[in-house]
Amino acid sequence: MKPVNTGLLLARRKVLLGAAAGSLAAPFIARAADPIKIGLLLAKTGQIAAQTEYLANGSYLALEQRNNMIMGQPAELVWLDEPSPQAATQNMQKLVQENKVCAVLGGSLSSNALAEEATAAQLKVPFVCDNAAATEISGKNCNRYTFRLNTPVAVQSRMLAPFALTYGKKWYHITASYAFGQDILRSSRELLKAAGGTEVGSDEVPLNTADFSSFILKIRQAKPDVVVGGLSAGDLSTFLKQWNELGMKGKIPFVEIAIGDTDIWAVGPEAATGTFTKMWEHSNPDNPPEERAFAAAYLKKHGKPAADKAWMGWITARSLFESIDAAKSLDGMAIVEGLEAWKAPAGNASYSYRKFDHQMLVRNLAVSVKPNITDKWDYFDVKATLPENPADIDKVFGTQEEVGCKMG
Amino acid sequence: MLEILLSQVVSGLVLGGLYVLIAIGLSVIFGLLGIVNFAHGTFFTLGAYLALTLYQYFGWPAVIFSPILVGAIGMVAERLLIRRLYDKEPLISLIVTFALALLIEASVRLIYGGIGQPFSPPPLLSGFLIWGPILITKYRFAVLLTTAVLLLGLWLFLEKTPFGRILRAGSRDPEMVGLLGINLPRVLTWVFGLGCAISGIAGVLAAPLWTITPAMATNAIMPAFVVVAIGGLGSFAGAVIAGLLVGVVIALTIQFYPAASGAVMYLFMALMLLVRPRGLLGERWERFE
Repeated sequence: MKPVNTGLLLARRKVLLGAAAGSLAAPFIARAADPIKIGLLLAKTGQIAAQTEYLANGSYLALEQRNNMIMGQPAELVWLDEPSPQAATQNMQKLVQENKVCAVLGGSLSSNALAEEATAAQLKVPFVCDNAAATEISGKNCNRYTFRLNTPVAVQSRMLAPFALTYGKKWYHITASYAFGQDILRSSRELLKAAGGTEVGSDEVPLNTADFSSFILKIRQAKPDVVVGGLSAGDLSTFLKQWNELGMKGKIPFVEIAIGDTDIWAVGPEAATGTFTKMWEHSNPDNPPEERAFAAAYLKKHGKPAADKAWMGWITARSLFESIDAAKSLDGMAIVEGLEAWKAPAGNASYSYRKFDHQMLVRNLAVSVKPNITDKWDYFDVKATLPENPADIDKVFGTQEEVGCKMG
Repeated sequence: MLEILLSQVVSGLVLGGLYVLIAIGLSVIFGLLGIVNFAHGTFFTLGAYLALTLYQYFGWPAVIFSPILVGAIGMVAERLLIRRLYDKEPLISLIVTFALALLIEASVRLIYGGIGQPFSPPPLLSGFLIWGPILITKYRFAVLLTTAVLLLGLWLFLEKTPFGRILRAGSRDPEMVGLLGINLPRVLTWVFGLGCAISGIAGVLAAPLWTITPAMATNAIMPAFVVVAIGGLGSFAGAVIAGLLVGVVIALTIQFYPAASGAVMYLFMALMLLVRPRGLLGERWERFE
């Protein structure tokens, strides 16, 4: 009988076993080395792309300031387009199912964000809406997985109304004919009625209108005390440009909520006019140290000041990254709980998402275009921080009953 | 009421004039080359951006070079890309020109950034003209006048010059024109450049009125296609009439039912296609049927 070399056989078995174990373990090792992925769902084309460029810049900077690490692991943003509500929904599914993101930042337009928040609830993925302002997002359409930064239209309208009323009680509304504009129209009409004023005219304008001259002729004929706008992004810029071209600047005051820096930069110093609400101003001396550091880092990286939208992209991304760190998990519900508990200092106040509607409580600025603009990045004088008493912020944003959010 | 209606009609004519200029370029290119150019709107955008750049570096007079540069870019695009599409399926030219549009828009975004660029009318043209009940700004009146002069010049060029005759003959029977010893490919390069330059002129004229953004073509290309469809593909006079009609219809819709002002031109087009599928002055062309 031939002696059997068991040692060699055992060694070969070990090698085979080792190889088998290695091949089985390989995907897990590779997965562990994969970066943590966060979805970015923002429009890449269209008029709103002027704003989303800054939203994205802010979010990328927030990640860079953490050395591209979340929970001590490498992390990256995966940016997909949101050209329409339907395509935005499809891209959110793609982000979750194909790109395996653990949470999504985005929602540049209200119409898109309303569709995206429903998809987020369906897919059980945390969604932090960084731009859209429609009241319903954190109101009657709210859900456990959606968090929202921008102050709701109804709240901003309440903040702006006293400024509009200083000009008079005959208002003309010119609003976009989609969710954001319709929300402004509804809120503004209620406020005007409560103040005992009259609406002398109202126009709903299709998105991407290139020529406002016919609308402006109507406003000119109606002779209102003030025009209350509800136009967004490029449409607002075009309107203000043509408002000046048709000689209306300085004749009838213009007010609107939620202006973005990019909207007014596109108008130019010659034509810019109006009083607005705004979330953040890079030159505001009252900005807390973290935000001054952010503004400096942005200026260093991009060679131009941070627009308000850059701050909006930054603060929402920061809230999400810090919440994932706190949750120590990529599980959707764990991140949701992290976001619900998240808090960050903001001068003599703090930022947080309200428990019952997931709305971030942020004081807004009332700003007016400077009479003489000497710096092409600095158009506004800050008139007030609203509400003036930080302790009133919860009241200003409305009670659960007033907001109408029922998460179940 | 009459006062505001007349002012609205004049306002509509200015808007219509811009649509005509964009549509004429599209129509000339389709009529002579048989290409439905989806990139046409981006040449409008290029016209606006180049005008802004030339103004910033050299002042207002340099702005007139913008359409020339746009035309030159169009000629390069024709030599490198469009020429290869003449004998291909129409669907291929749609896809390729759409890709060209995306490429140009992305290039503009890369160079200038995504945010809008401020640009106002020249100081010489600030202020108003008031004729009885009609109010119009001097700049808008200048746009209307420039459009009328350009259209007249273009019509004379196409109808009364030997080059214009070659173009018209080439559009009907390119083979016969070639047999007569005329270098038709070179002529087609010039035609494409001319169409792009006209779109560039519209971009220059619109720049002080509209917001200059990489996506501004969106506001130009759809009305241009609608105008061409209503006027009749390849018809010069059809595009002029349809463009002005569309502008006036939009302005009057804003007066009476503003929420429909974005949709009214499509409704107008649908009605026209139902009543007269070839458009107002469209002809039956064997080459495309």
